[in-house]
Amino acid sequence: MTNYILKRLGQGLLTVFLTVSTVFILIRMAPGDPAVSYAGPLATNEQLEAVRQQFGLDKPVLEQYWIFIQQLFTGNLGQSYSFQAPAMQVVFERMPYTLTLATSAILLTAAVAIPLGVWMSRRPDTGREFGVNVLTIAGQSMPDFWTGIMLLTGFAVLIPLFPASGFATWGGLVLPTVTIAILQIALISRMVRREMTNNLAAPYLTVARSRGVKNSVLTWRYAMGNSAIPVFTALGTRFAAMLNGVVVVEVVFAWPGVGSLIVRALETRDYPLIQATVLITALLAVGVQLLIDLAYPLLDPRVRLGKAATA
Amino acid sequence: MSLDTATPAPGTPGAPAKQPSPSAVTKADIAKAGATRRRRSAQWKLIVGTICTLLVIIPIILANVLPLPDANFQDLAARRLPPLTDGHLFGTDQLGRDLLSRVLHGGQVSLTIGLLAVLVSGAIGVILGAAAGYFGGWVDTIVSRLLEAQMSLPLLMMLLLVVALFGPSIPVITFVIAIAQWPEVARLTRSMVLVEREKPYVSAARILGLHRIQILIQHIIPNVIKQATLVVLLLLAQAVLLESALSFLGAGPQRPFATWGRIISDGQDYITTSWWMVTLPGLVIVLMVVGVNLLGDGLRDRPRRKKKGA
Repeated sequence: MTNYILKRLGQGLLTVFLTVSTVFILIRMAPGDPAVSYAGPLATNEQLEAVRQQFGLDKPVLEQYWIFIQQLFTGNLGQSYSFQAPAMQVVFERMPYTLTLATSAILLTAAVAIPLGVWMSRRPDTGREFGVNVLTIAGQSMPDFWTGIMLLTGFAVLIPLFPASGFATWGGLVLPTVTIAILQIALISRMVRREMTNNLAAPYLTVARSRGVKNSVLTWRYAMGNSAIPVFTALGTRFAAMLNGVVVVEVVFAWPGVGSLIVRALETRDYPLIQATVLITALLAVGVQLLIDLAYPLLDPRVRLGKAATA
Repeated sequence: MSLDTATPAPGTPGAPAKQPSPSAVTKADIAKAGATRRRRSAQWKLIVGTICTLLVIIPIILANVLPLPDANFQDLAARRLPPLTDGHLFGTDQLGRDLLSRVLHGGQVSLTIGLLAVLVSGAIGVILGAAAGYFGGWVDTIVSRLLEAQMSLPLLMMLLLVVALFGPSIPVITFVIAIAQWPEVARLTRSMVLVEREKPYVSAARILGLHRIQILIQHIIPNVIKQATLVVLLLLAQAVLLESALSFLGAGPQRPFATWGRIISDGQDYITTSWWMVTLPGLVIVLMVVGVNLLGDGLRDRPRRKKKGA
């Protein structure tokens, strides 16, 4: 067990390291000079040179990389060019907003998608189920920025129920959450349906039914019990992906999270900020993945972690 | 496929009371059976999916032939005309450009990118997935690690990064979407090839003295390509969505190309006064993506016919 956790932690950290290194190389390979975007288009050559020196951009790339690695271990990735503050601190200030949004979206998704998927799996291919099925397809076919703008217009402008942007009141959480959840509900409920349909048709269920087990028990304890791991994995993976910033939705609703931060950092070529964002979100995503795997034995006592390392 | 559905039937109603027929299963029972319903709903999905897709794709293909105003022709006197005003079925935008024409021409760009991206990702996915599944060993290790690494990468962020850094040209965007999508094809192909390579015909081919690469290309890939193509179809829907999201964030193909994402992001500023500028392009995207998704679903669920001949 401990071995397993250590091994996974090692793999996870390696992934994070490769990710940030890739980003480091990509940034340096790309055209465009951060000094220009920092000092403005009117800056003289001397000013640009001074800026490059200040941020260490005049050093050879390999030396910059070495400095970067040292910074990684001290947890200080340098000053953000555009915020004039430590890059890590800027990201940490934004993280709670993304966390809040991701958590509320995943909770809403789970609360709707699981019952919906079970409902569909119990009457597959009937008229009503076909209708709901097409609706879920529509849900996964809508571009999220479009859904967001539509909800925004409908429920913040035409009928001013909720604030249009930002996170000043709890009401501001509603529209972004719903926007994300529409897509996720569509994806997860279809997945629940698939898993449940397979399990409900399995021989062990027929045996249990013939022995007179109640229908609700059959569905929720027998079939759901066996569908729990894939469903939980899907929910967890989605959650981990959301921690990387629900970029589009955050931009639409002017949500002060990591997603809108990265867009700004990219526009201004704020190297330390880009690297800090990628580092923190990658770390979080890897951490959540690990937690998901550690939760498997709770969901299914047959799972032994050391042996199911590929799960 | 089991006839047994989730709801337990407490005795088949009606059937036993009637005149003895050759079988106790009546036509009504067959019509209600799970397998029949499944086939019927697959057929419906195919029909509806085809209609939705064609409804969008045919006008896009014909966009240059149809009697439409030029997509970039500005008529400042005719700004923000609502839909159905003379000559403008979808209305006009803030510069007096015909919205329908822009949506159709934008669709040409979006679809081209989507198709190219899917072809590239499909090719990479099938080749790497098949190689990993068939050869195993270090090939499999490398491909599988790559798959895992990409799973844990912040996808949209990386795409934005690459586009922001290397410039939003069509090749870059196509490449970026293809890179985002190949793992799905690769994973599926790999798992199918793992099953196929244990089948007797592979041993037979090997005994006949065929080279391993020849076996893979001539015998195994043809057996898995059909299902892989299905996934690729679903990826097309995703590619169109991904491209429009990139365009929306300003990382799409640059002007004068009007892509679906940017038409919507341009119209966003006028949403309260000119609803059509965002709503209609969005509905076109939804119609098309729903169509493609339904097609993919229908093709997957369609009962496999027995092979004729070979």
